[in-house]
Amino acid sequence: MKELEVTAPADQVQRPPAEVRYADELARLRADDTAARPPGWVLSVQAARRFVIGDDRLGVSRKFVGDPSLIDRALITLATSRGLMLVGDPGTAKSLLSELLAAAVSGDSTLTIQGGAATTEDQIRYSWNYALLVADGPSTRSLVPAPLLRGMAEGRAVRFEEITRCPLEVQDCLLSPLSDRMLAIPELTGPESMVFARDGFTVIATANTRDRGVNDMSSALKRRFNFETVFPIADFDTELTLVADEAGKLLRRSGVTAEPRRDVLEVLVTTFRELRGGETARGDTMERLSSVMSTAEAVSVAHAVGLRGWFLRGESGNAEDVVACLAGTAAKDSPEDLAKLRRYLAQQVDWRTGGQWQELRRARHLLPG
Amino acid sequence: MPVTFIGVRHHSPACARLVADTIDELRPAYVLIEGPADLNERIGELLLGHQLPVAVFTSYRDDERRHGSWAPFCDYSPEWVALTRGRAVGAELRFIDLPAWHPAFAGRSNRYADAELRYADVMERLCRGFGVDNVDALWDHLFEIAPTDGLAERLATYFDLVRGEAAAGESDTAREAYMASWVRAAAASAGDRPVVVVTGGFHRPALVTLAATGDTEWPAAPRLPEGALGGSYLVPYSFRRLDAFDGYQSGMPSPGYYQELWESGPSAAARHLVTSVAGRLRNRKQPVSTADLIAARATADGLAMVRGHASPARADVLDGLASALVNEALDVPLPWSSRGTLRAGSHPVVVEMVAALSGNRVGRLHPGTPAPPLVHDLDAELARAGLDGAGDLDLDLTRPGDRSRSVILHRVRVLGVPGFSRTAGPSVGLDPALRERWALRPDPGRLTAVIEAGAHGATLADACAAALAERAVLAGRDVDALAAVLFDAALAGVTEVSDRALADIDAGVAAAPDLSPVGRMLAVVLTMWRHDRVFGTIHSAVLGRVVTAAVRRILWLAEGAHGGAAPADLGRIAALAACRDALRHAGRALSLDLHGAVETASRVSADPAAPPDLRGAAFGLRWALADLVTSALPASGPGSGVTGAAVPDPFEPVGVDAVRAVRGAFVAATAGDWLAGLFAVAREEVLHDEEVVALLDDLLSGMGTEDFLVALPALRQAFEFFPPRERETIAGRLLARRGLGGTGRSLLRSAVDPSVVAAGMRLDERVDELLSSVGLVTGTGIAGLVRGVAIVGVEGAGLSTETEGRA
Repeated sequence: MKELEVTAPADQVQRPPAEVRYADELARLRADDTAARPPGWVLSVQAARRFVIGDDRLGVSRKFVGDPSLIDRALITLATSRGLMLVGDPGTAKSLLSELLAAAVSGDSTLTIQGGAATTEDQIRYSWNYALLVADGPSTRSLVPAPLLRGMAEGRAVRFEEITRCPLEVQDCLLSPLSDRMLAIPELTGPESMVFARDGFTVIATANTRDRGVNDMSSALKRRFNFETVFPIADFDTELTLVADEAGKLLRRSGVTAEPRRDVLEVLVTTFRELRGGETARGDTMERLSSVMSTAEAVSVAHAVGLRGWFLRGESGNAEDVVACLAGTAAKDSPEDLAKLRRYLAQQVDWRTGGQWQELRRARHLLPG
Repeated sequence: MPVTFIGVRHHSPACARLVADTIDELRPAYVLIEGPADLNERIGELLLGHQLPVAVFTSYRDDERRHGSWAPFCDYSPEWVALTRGRAVGAELRFIDLPAWHPAFAGRSNRYADAELRYADVMERLCRGFGVDNVDALWDHLFEIAPTDGLAERLATYFDLVRGEAAAGESDTAREAYMASWVRAAAASAGDRPVVVVTGGFHRPALVTLAATGDTEWPAAPRLPEGALGGSYLVPYSFRRLDAFDGYQSGMPSPGYYQELWESGPSAAARHLVTSVAGRLRNRKQPVSTADLIAARATADGLAMVRGHASPARADVLDGLASALVNEALDVPLPWSSRGTLRAGSHPVVVEMVAALSGNRVGRLHPGTPAPPLVHDLDAELARAGLDGAGDLDLDLTRPGDRSRSVILHRVRVLGVPGFSRTAGPSVGLDPALRERWALRPDPGRLTAVIEAGAHGATLADACAAALAERAVLAGRDVDALAAVLFDAALAGVTEVSDRALADIDAGVAAAPDLSPVGRMLAVVLTMWRHDRVFGTIHSAVLGRVVTAAVRRILWLAEGAHGGAAPADLGRIAALAACRDALRHAGRALSLDLHGAVETASRVSADPAAPPDLRGAAFGLRWALADLVTSALPASGPGSGVTGAAVPDPFEPVGVDAVRAVRGAFVAATAGDWLAGLFAVAREEVLHDEEVVALLDDLLSGMGTEDFLVALPALRQAFEFFPPRERETIAGRLLARRGLGGTGRSLLRSAVDPSVVAAGMRLDERVDELLSSVGLVTGTGIAGLVRGVAIVGVEGAGLSTETEGRA
């Protein structure tokens, strides 16, 4: 039987980590970096900032579409003794941002804990190689460090994804590493029983605002983090361009040669933005949908719209396809959201000018139910 | 010909310092300032020694156009510094721009608004290049916080870059040509002595070119066109108002912070900001620990370092405070990351921060300042109407003379001038009071109040309209407050409202969260729109627009109201009834979307998640509008006719089958609530449909006794929507169906309290049970009739649980 190959050649990896994807840019920034670096960092704050928001002079791409001041605050937080907590709706690129920041600060974004209902302290701090533990007793040899212990010992950024999906008591094991900057390993004796964080250790956590109800955070832990809210893309044109580009890429990969229509995408992106923000262009307020209306979802709807138009009729998708696809994404399995969507299409579309809006209103009977 | 052009950003302390240094150094013969040239003869008024901020308010009115605009000055305004320093070195001072009433300023309410927004593309590229959020942060970064050496050159480069090759708009061209003619005349007149020109930076490149060649005559101040009224005068201003301009009107935000920056420099301003935010939060019992403040300070310093500032700039301090003090997710972005006024839903900490930035300084005019024209206009109006004394007045609003006096008094009251109080008269609502009583008492605070109100306008009518518009903005989503504003407008005879105020009212209605207040407002406004001849509001365009917005909002909210069985909410039922009236009586005149309304009503009436009263009301709305819809064919919604009008709309309303609907909705527990909704909206339709009355009779008679007693209070409430005469009609039908003689009147005039009837029924029921248990079953055809009496009998005798218990 053939043995399992765990390491794939680099060019066959589906999604290499940021420090590999942008290795050239990081190298250029490092070479150009003359400013002082915070202790334990691989780049200065200024260079790390340019890595994220882009620098045309050095050929560094813009990787995050949002306020530059958010990046400033995030980096300064990481240089102080507090952790960084990125909160926001799903699909606002929080995880991407956390990956980029870790790559910029430590040159390594792989010390990652994925939070979930089944996450235990073992997966965060350390566990044991039980064969060695039974044979030799507790020692550094039988100790299996998890991301937090490694981050502290090596002075690197630790990413904690979806922290609020962990039970409260599990989250709280971050308390003393964040405030006292040390981790006790009571099973060991002597100096090895205490791991003191090396310069460069920091924690970048992410949490969905939609998950707030699942597990809140203790106020003690909240105090040890600086909160940064990541908002959906504020500018309509930026979002429209992003959706058009990404959907175009996906459609080409699916063998569709018809480009998505700009006016249809405008209608789609406007609908997403209004249902997400709970306010129409005219100023009417409405309840937000409970399902996620992120840019990423808009891209996937635009993709589906293009597929429908092409494979059903051999043309670009139109407003009718938008309605048909919205039902699946926007409403998912929630009848309330479906009702909100129907109400939106019936009452908030007719006053707009533009052929596609009228098409959209006419197609509202395509919503199921 | 040594002319020094200083291009400034209005309200910039850095520019103000540059102006001061330049004037002190050059000691020019002339200081020319971007400001209204019609004020040149009265420049002395500005320098009397006011407490800033003050503003020059300009009003204008002719047959077509009405305009009011402000030119605000604070201590750190470069234009103000040019005035004071110019005077100190003995220079001749001249305002060189067109007056604010000139058509070149049409649509502008703030003379010293930023021009950057007109060059959005360049600004966006610049912000990207410098890696900052917006123009304000960029400006602080480049000028306010940066070292002062080379400031003049940097400013020139900046404005040249932003203005670029872009041709100025028509209005800018006119202004620049006019300003250049002043510069040429001053330069010629000054000879060898220097001239300093202080204008907005975007005008500087054009002025430099235009001033080089041309005639050197002193230009004349433009005169008001024939038949137009207008003028400029000084009014007290406040930081709050300065900060409230938004969009194209906004100047530099955060006057409180920049005042501090001007007085004590960047580090002190940063410290002051932190102190005042912490103080404000602690006053509001929000926890701000020392550790938080240390963290805020450390972050601000760190940000300043990263952004290359010698001491923390405005955004650095704010970002630091936000990082340290906000430890939860935000609902809306931080206001200083984008421009504009504070948005609803901002975090309380952020709200306090913005308040601290804004400051609460209020300007005061020197006592020697000529009073604004409002003071004279108000005195004249009062004297003309014989209202200048003290005393009590009793006015009959149907008499024209009294009505016009009432209008004046209401205008004065709306402006908040003390000493005029109304003790009785029509209030918001539909009461038919047509008399008013006023008490007029002299008040020492009167003059001050009128001078303050003078900032709103030159005449009593204009000032009152402006004050009401401001109240409409403050009302926001509070529809009741909005209704009060509209009613005050009617009382004060304000029939024209600015487009801006209309848009604000529209926005307020469009964001209203509850049905009942919108319904209350619609009822009032619709009545005023349809009938009001006393106040002259009949078919007023403003009210028509409010009606349109309210109908739209009611239909929207009705479809969103979900919830299980609950007692009927009379407010929201009334909202649908008001909506029905609007569609019926104003639908055609205001071209309301009748089809859309019927479609929505159909959906709500069939929505199992909607509360029963609303379902009933929605069904009633659909029923009540059915004849309008069929008679209005083939007209349809605004959407059709664009393309493919031949495609049948799958939502085309079909006929109303009331019997089927009533039968479908009749569930014992909720029947009363459903009927309450139906009767409130479609009472007449029910009354004229014999089949429905018969069906109701059958359904009610067929209910189990327990069910009936449960439903009784709600049923009584439902039938209260019928006036006594109509109840008699129903009672008559009940009798006729049973072949009994007598009139409905006699049936209803039962001397028996309905609660006694109910108790009797309970007793009957027990007897029936006993009888049937021993095999002696009885049955009377009268039971249904007794129930009928229990429901609609003796008016006003409510069936409370107490009486039921006693029975």
